[in-house]
Amino acid sequence: METTNVDYKAERAGYYKVLVGLLLLTAVTFIQPHMFMTDSNFMVQMFIGTVKAWMILIYYMHLKGEKLIGWSVLFSLLLVVFFYIMVIIDVNHFQFLDLSHITSEVTSSGAANASAAH
Amino acid sequence: MSKTYFDETHCAIGHPKSTFMQWMLTVDHKRIGLMYAAVMFTFFFVAVATALAMRFELFAPGAQFMDGDTFNQAFTLHGVIMIFLFIVPGIPAIFGNIVMPLMIGAKDVSFPRLNWFTFWLYIAGCIIAVSSLWVGEGFADTGWTFYAPYSLNTGTNVIMTLVAAFVLGMASILTGLNFLVTIHRLRAPGMGFFQMPLFVWGIYATAWIQLLATPVVGITLILAILEKYFGIGIFDPSKGGDPVLFEHLFWIYSHPAVYLMILPAFGIMSEIIPTFSRKEIFGYRTIALSSASIAGIGYLVWGHHLFTSGMSDMAKVIFSFLTFFVAIPTGIKFYDWVATMYGGKIVLSTPMLWALGTLITFAIGGLTGVTIAMVGVDIHLQDTYYSVAHFHYAMLGGVAFLLFAGMHYWFPLCFGKMYSEKHAKNAFYLQFIGFNMLWFPMFIAGYLGMPRRYFDYLPEFQIYHQVSFFGAVIFITGLVYMFVTFYKGIKNGEKTTPNPWNATTLEWHLPSAPPPLENHSKVPYVDFRPYEYKHGEPVVKFDYVTMKRID
Amino acid sequence: MGHEYVPEIATDRDGNEYEVQGWQGDFYGGKLGFWLFMLTEVMMFGAMFLALTYYFSLHTADFVNASASLNRYLGGFNTVILLVSALTMGLGLLKMRVGDIKGAKLMIWATIILAIVFLGVKAVEWTAEYNHGVFLGLDALQSGNAHSKPFGEILFFGLYFTMTGLHGFHIIIGIGLMLWLLKRINANKVNQGHHILHFNIALYWDLVHLIWVFVFPYFYMIGAGDVTGGAH
Repeated sequence: METTNVDYKAERAGYYKVLVGLLLLTAVTFIQPHMFMTDSNFMVQMFIGTVKAWMILIYYMHLKGEKLIGWSVLFSLLLVVFFYIMVIIDVNHFQFLDLSHITSEVTSSGAANASAAH
Repeated sequence: MSKTYFDETHCAIGHPKSTFMQWMLTVDHKRIGLMYAAVMFTFFFVAVATALAMRFELFAPGAQFMDGDTFNQAFTLHGVIMIFLFIVPGIPAIFGNIVMPLMIGAKDVSFPRLNWFTFWLYIAGCIIAVSSLWVGEGFADTGWTFYAPYSLNTGTNVIMTLVAAFVLGMASILTGLNFLVTIHRLRAPGMGFFQMPLFVWGIYATAWIQLLATPVVGITLILAILEKYFGIGIFDPSKGGDPVLFEHLFWIYSHPAVYLMILPAFGIMSEIIPTFSRKEIFGYRTIALSSASIAGIGYLVWGHHLFTSGMSDMAKVIFSFLTFFVAIPTGIKFYDWVATMYGGKIVLSTPMLWALGTLITFAIGGLTGVTIAMVGVDIHLQDTYYSVAHFHYAMLGGVAFLLFAGMHYWFPLCFGKMYSEKHAKNAFYLQFIGFNMLWFPMFIAGYLGMPRRYFDYLPEFQIYHQVSFFGAVIFITGLVYMFVTFYKGIKNGEKTTPNPWNATTLEWHLPSAPPPLENHSKVPYVDFRPYEYKHGEPVVKFDYVTMKRID
Repeated sequence: MGHEYVPEIATDRDGNEYEVQGWQGDFYGGKLGFWLFMLTEVMMFGAMFLALTYYFSLHTADFVNASASLNRYLGGFNTVILLVSALTMGLGLLKMRVGDIKGAKLMIWATIILAIVFLGVKAVEWTAEYNHGVFLGLDALQSGNAHSKPFGEILFFGLYFTMTGLHGFHIIIGIGLMLWLLKRINANKVNQGHHILHFNIALYWDLVHLIWVFVFPYFYMIGAGDVTGGAH
């Protein structure tokens, strides 16, 4: 990063703008469960989180214009996403739900049963 | 006689006078690489001895001098040392350190002091792992995979082994990080990514795996430790935890880890084959890119270790399908190597012999891997001697053989002396024969149903175990023979020139052998491809003082 | 090491000269290295979120119930604290880059104080949960007794304590790093022309914040609002 020619005022203003944006999004996080799209609460919350993370990455962490580092970050995020997809596919197609004592059917009917058998 | 890296060094802290402290505090990548080699091979022989003890036990059915529990600890010790202490750090830590900076014309790695710290982190990990042998209930008996829930219930020292694996993992991450930055930042002017020697490509692909896969196993081990101490429930079925999740997380790292081991080994192969065929490598770009794509695909296939663990059928099919894709870039490399040799002036020096031997053993190891990538076949062969033979053909017959090949290849570079080629070749033949005798019968025994990790077996398997035993004895004899040859080479081998093999890459264009402290006398400008031969002679020649081309 | 580094010059066959990049004083190399280190952190927390998602999809209702019992306002307060601390850290770096050493140090101190406030709030939360009988090792999170919670809630709290605990550990490390940075600034080892250490610690602090951006909604907010409804 260049130490000469730092436009101090402009950069400081940038920091404050991002702060305001993040604070607003945090406020939305709190209002949302009571106001809108309550059916997909989780998805909305994660979406807001992603937007916030994006702002932090780009502005606070100076990722804007970084080619190599930007691609590395993207690559590792894609890997994590792939892990999620595969593991979620696995869990959602689990064919021994009825036999397993760790799955939700048994838990909602009471953990005591399951652990009594233990 | 000019000073070499044995005579002077830079240190991490201060300027110690004693030679011993200079070695302990050195930040020189070549010295660090040598120290890694020394420590690793010490542990390697411990693990070999453990394996031999198990072979003794298995010579006849029934318990002779080891009971079941001891046997469990023995194969865990063998696995933990071989995987975490030897083969995972293996080639990157030894030759990644010694030759990679030389190959790209750098003075050192990007963070020399971090490199020094990493080495000592590795040593700390080794000490923790080995000391758990004498603490409490003795060494872990879970197998090197630490599968939950058994690892959570057993009374043996699993926690120390887990901590050791975590520390060693951190060392591995930092090595990878250091190499990535080095390769990105410190290439000599003019050297683009596609002018790098292929070993550097192998190290580069490996470093990405070290960097991105290792943290996953790190956190898995931490979760297992927390589970054991605090009972957070995550892997404990009595609290709703799912042991299959542990296997998922564990193999998300540990499958890419096998590519982490083999990719730099392939890199060594790609160095040796063109050098001793005196011919430019066939399909440089395809080899380079196949390294990268093996690293990439390696992340997508971990589930094939879970075919019998209670994963859903859907996931099994997807993972089985994805696993086949690994064979494509690997096959490309094999064809490229063979095509390189076609029409070349082949020189059968010891490194080339090792490389050719590996072409055979790794082909067997690789193709048997494809068979067990199929779900149906794998249900039959999982956890039998078939898979044991498969991964030993791939790991020992692939990675370790190529590591030996590299040791013969770069020996004159490291020490400026030459071992006796006659003895080295004898050692190769002994090991090659012993190796095949040791592992090939296991394919048959496994196919017939001999399960792995048992200290006892049915009488009909005795013949396979006995052939294996004699193979093991021959193999170990060859191994010891090889190291004695090396030792004699270091002691009183003939002096060599800096480029005894007529090789072309930058590590052979040094002013002296062994190289001076800061490598090349000047950083060269690279305007040539790594393996340029014409009529069996290297094209590029340097004046080793000014590092200008004189051809 | 220590003395001023003069880059070498490589010359090609036509006599053109190229400056050689050495490992000394390589700002971009230092930055790249630290980013790569942060990727390992991302993978580490990624794996933990993976475990969380795994059990969330198995025990959705239990997770939502358990989340509803957390103190959302303390969590939200901590979110704002971290947000502001990321700002002070960034401004500190900015001041360092224009050569305002005193201002930079002030901002780092402000960040440290905010970090301590964060840990204090965290301690209050954990104490309250302990007093409710919800803590690692207590009956509610063990199986097979009268107080046992359902599987999903045991797993939720197990992961909650693990992940917020590990995040808190990163905050503590961050405080240590900032104190070290102050020491280096005082010794004039970090200054306007040589501030890679400050730059990287600022990056680290942003990463700690970044992790919290996901930890917070995943634990505190999935149970907000309609308790029985919720995700998926």
